[in-house]
Amino acid sequence: MIASIPSAVLHGVDGRPVSVEVHVANGLPGFTVVGLPDAAVRESRDRVRAAFTSSGLPWPRRRVTVNLAPSGMRKGGAGLDLPIAVGVLVASGVLDAAVVAGHAFVGELGLDGTLRGVPGVLVLADALVGHQVVVADADGPEAALAPTCVRTAPSLTEVVARCTGRRPWPVVPRRPLGPRYDEGSRPPVGDLADVHGQLLARRALEVAAAGGHHLLLVGPPGAGKTLLATRLPGLLPDLDAATARDVARIRSVMPDVDAASALDVRPPFRAPHHGLSAVAMVGGGNAAHRPGEIGLAHGGVLFLDELGEFPTTVLDALRQPLEDGVVRISRSGGSTCCPARFLLVAAMNPCPCGEGGVPGGCRCSPGARARYARRLSGPLLDRFDLALRVDRPAWSDLIEPPVGESTATVAARVVAARRHARDRGVPANVALDATDLDRTAALDGPATDLLARHLRTGRLSARGLHRLRRMARTIADLDDGAPLVTGRHVTEALLLRGSRALLLGEEVR
Amino acid sequence: MTDDDLACAVALLDLPGMTPVRLARVLDGLGPTLAWHAVRAGTHPGDRSRRFAGPARQVVPTDVLARYRAAGVSVLLPGGTGYPTALVGDPGAPAVLTALGDATVAEGRPAVAVVGTRSATPYGASVAAELGRGLAASGVVVVSGLALGIDAAAHAGALDAGPGAAAPVAVVGTGLDVVYPKVNRVLWERVVAAGAVLSESPLATPALPRVFPARNRIIAALADVVVVVECHGRGGSFHTVEAAARRAVPVCAVPGSVRSPASRGTNGMLVDGCTPVRDLEDVLTALALARGGRALEPGRAPRGTRAPDVDRRLEGLARSARAVWDAVDDTPTTIETVLLRTDLAVATVAVAVADLVRRGLLTEGAGWWSRS
Repeated sequence: MIASIPSAVLHGVDGRPVSVEVHVANGLPGFTVVGLPDAAVRESRDRVRAAFTSSGLPWPRRRVTVNLAPSGMRKGGAGLDLPIAVGVLVASGVLDAAVVAGHAFVGELGLDGTLRGVPGVLVLADALVGHQVVVADADGPEAALAPTCVRTAPSLTEVVARCTGRRPWPVVPRRPLGPRYDEGSRPPVGDLADVHGQLLARRALEVAAAGGHHLLLVGPPGAGKTLLATRLPGLLPDLDAATARDVARIRSVMPDVDAASALDVRPPFRAPHHGLSAVAMVGGGNAAHRPGEIGLAHGGVLFLDELGEFPTTVLDALRQPLEDGVVRISRSGGSTCCPARFLLVAAMNPCPCGEGGVPGGCRCSPGARARYARRLSGPLLDRFDLALRVDRPAWSDLIEPPVGESTATVAARVVAARRHARDRGVPANVALDATDLDRTAALDGPATDLLARHLRTGRLSARGLHRLRRMARTIADLDDGAPLVTGRHVTEALLLRGSRALLLGEEVR
Repeated sequence: MTDDDLACAVALLDLPGMTPVRLARVLDGLGPTLAWHAVRAGTHPGDRSRRFAGPARQVVPTDVLARYRAAGVSVLLPGGTGYPTALVGDPGAPAVLTALGDATVAEGRPAVAVVGTRSATPYGASVAAELGRGLAASGVVVVSGLALGIDAAAHAGALDAGPGAAAPVAVVGTGLDVVYPKVNRVLWERVVAAGAVLSESPLATPALPRVFPARNRIIAALADVVVVVECHGRGGSFHTVEAAARRAVPVCAVPGSVRSPASRGTNGMLVDGCTPVRDLEDVLTALALARGGRALEPGRAPRGTRAPDVDRRLEGLARSARAVWDAVDDTPTTIETVLLRTDLAVATVAVAVADLVRRGLLTEGAGWWSRS
C-alpha cells in the first residue's frame, strides 16, 4: 500500500511544501527514510516507532519506505514525525486514505505518542494553505494566524480518533491583531518624559520616528544615548497588518528568541551586543538559513550601541539591507530572502577615551582617534540621516528636571506626520523614491537656493541630497503638513543631519 | 669647521642605534673627524663595547653628508655657522643639529616659545595664534614644536604676521624628511620657507615616543621666555616647563576656564607661581624682564583676531538670531545649551545659527559652536 501525506519544512523564513510518501510492502521488516533527510528527520524513525508502540497502534511487520518529495531538497526539523506516522497508518491500512484526504500534518512526536510543537509553525501553515493543517495543541494559536483551517490534537491517538470522527476537532480561536501583551503584563517601555533635557535629541527622535530616518548618536559615556534610543520604539506607530504578519512569521521561525503568540502590532526593538558575528546579524548559517538580527528588527528598531566596537565586516553587511529593505542570503543549500526594513539607531563615543566631546577634553592620540573613526566606512556613515552630539545633561537639569513631553504626546504627532506619508503611497518618507522627490517633496524658492549652495560648496553629495530632502519633507509633515518644503525645514534638516566628519574627526588643528 | 668635520659628524649621527646622549659622549672632547676614526677603529673610549665600529666601517662619511644635502638638510655643529648661539654652553645642547631652511634667522633676535596641548580648544588655538602673530610682528622669534593644536596655531599665527615680521623656528622630534603629524605638511613647508625647522634626529627617524621630550628641551633652551597656552594635567608641555625651569628661563601661562580640562595644567602652573599672560604685552614685559632692557613695542599685526565690526554685523539680526548670539558665550557651546537658554524651537535655532554662520559670526567645531 502507498500513502502520500502533505506537510512542509522550513527554508529560511519560508515554508516549502513536502509530500511524505510512505510505501509498505512485503519483504524483510525494516524502516528507511529517503529524500535528503537531515539528522533530525532520520531520527524520526525511532520516535515514530516508539510512539506507535506507546499509543497501542500496530506497527506493520513489513518493509516500510518513506520518501520525502521533492527528493532533491534537503529537509530538516522534527515536524515530519506526524506526517510520517500518519502515512504509515494509512499505508498499513489502519486509517482509511479518505479520512485524511485534504489534511496536512506538522508536528513532532514524543516517545509516548504526545504531539509537540515545532518552530516556524505559522510559516509552515502558510505554505499549506488549502489544507486542513493538523498541528500540536501548543502550536494551535500560532498556526491559526495563517489563512487556513487549523486542527489541533494533543497526541497521536487523538489524531487518529479525530480524523476518523470518533471525537470532534476542537475549535481553534483566531487571534485578533493587537499588542502582544495585555496592558497589565506589558513589559515596561520607557517613556520619553523620563529623559531630562536633551531638547535637540528629543527633536531628532521625533523626526526619526516620523520619517523612519536612521539616527546616529555620538556622545561621551553616561550622556543618555541608550536611554534615548530605547524611547524610540514607543514613538513609532503600530505596524500595519501586512508588516505585523511578516514580524510574526520571522518570530515564529526563531521561537527561542521571541515567541509569537499573537499578531503583535508593536514594532520590535533589537539591541544586539557588539560581539555578534556577521551571520548572526544578517542571517544564514546552517542549511535552515535562519534570520539574523536585522530580520528580527523588521518593522521596528535595530539599536547598535557602541557602534565603534562592532566588527567592520558586520557593519558593512548592513549596507545592502539598508538600501533594499530585504536581505538575500545565498549558501550552497540555496538562497532565501528575508524582509529587513528597519530603523537603524546607533550610539558611539566620539573617540576611544570617550571624552572627546568636550573641546580639549580628549586624551587620545591623534592616531588612536583616526583608527577609531576609520572603523566606520564612509558609505555606512552616509546612511545615517541624522547625526548629532549627545552630551551629559547639566547637573541643574538632573536636580530640577524641566518636564519634557511624554511619549504619548510625541507619538500622536508622529502618527499625524505618517498619515501625510501614506498619502504619498509610502509607509514613511524614508521610502520616497529618489526620482520622484520633485513631486512628493517639492521645494519652495529659498529651500532650492539653500540646497544649491550646499551642493556647490561640496557639503552635500547626491545621495546626501536625496536623504536630506526626505528628512526635510518629514520635518514639513511634522509642521502641520506644510505643502511645500521651505528653507526653514531644510535648515533644520541640515542641523539635524550634522557633520559626521566633525563629530568624529579632529576638533582643532 | 671643514666639510670633513661635518661629514664625520653627520655620519656618526646617522649610525643605527645612535642617540643624542651617546652622540654627545662620542663627540665629547674630540673633534668629529678624530671621533669618527676612533669609532671606526674601535678605539673610542666612549664606545667601549665597539657597537658602532662595525656599522661605521660600512659607511663613507662624505656619502652621508651628500645624502643630507640632497634632501636640502644642512648640518650644524657647535661653533659652526648656523648653530644657534643660544644653545652654545647649554648643558643639554645637541652635539649635531640638522636644519631645513635658514637657521640663522633667529640670531640676534629675542625668542619666545609658545607651546601647549595637541588637543586644544578653539579658545587655546585662537590665543596661540594671536600671540604668535603679535610676537612675530613685534620682531620676536616664535619657537614651537609643529605639533597639532597650540604649536600649529602659534606657528600659523607667526607666519600670518605679514612682511617684516620675525621668522618662526620649529624644533621637531622626527627626522627632517618625516613630516609628523602629516596634516601639518603645508604649515611645515611654510615654516621652512620663512624660517627654519631644526631636529637633532637623523633622517628617517619616525615619531618615536622618546624624541618628543628631548625635542622639548631644545625648545626651552632656544627661548628667552616660555609661554604655555593650554595644557592638561600632564603631558609634553611639562617637559618643556621643567627644561625651562632648569635653565632659569621664565615660564608664563595663559589662564583658562577652571572647567576646561585643557586648561587644568596651565591653571595649575599659575597657582605654582608662573607669570600669567593675558595678551601680547604681558609676554613682551616678561621678555624685557628676562633679557633686560626696555619692553619691545607691540607690533601691529595685519589683522586682528576679532573682527572690529562685530557690532555692525550684529545690526539687522532677527530677534531670535540675536538671542542665539547672546546664548553662545565665549566658550564653545552646544545647540542643546542654546535651546535651554533661549527656549526657542529647534527649527528657529537652526535658522538663527545658519544665519550667524553665514554672517561669519559663529563657527562650528565637532558639534560645538563658538563666536568667531
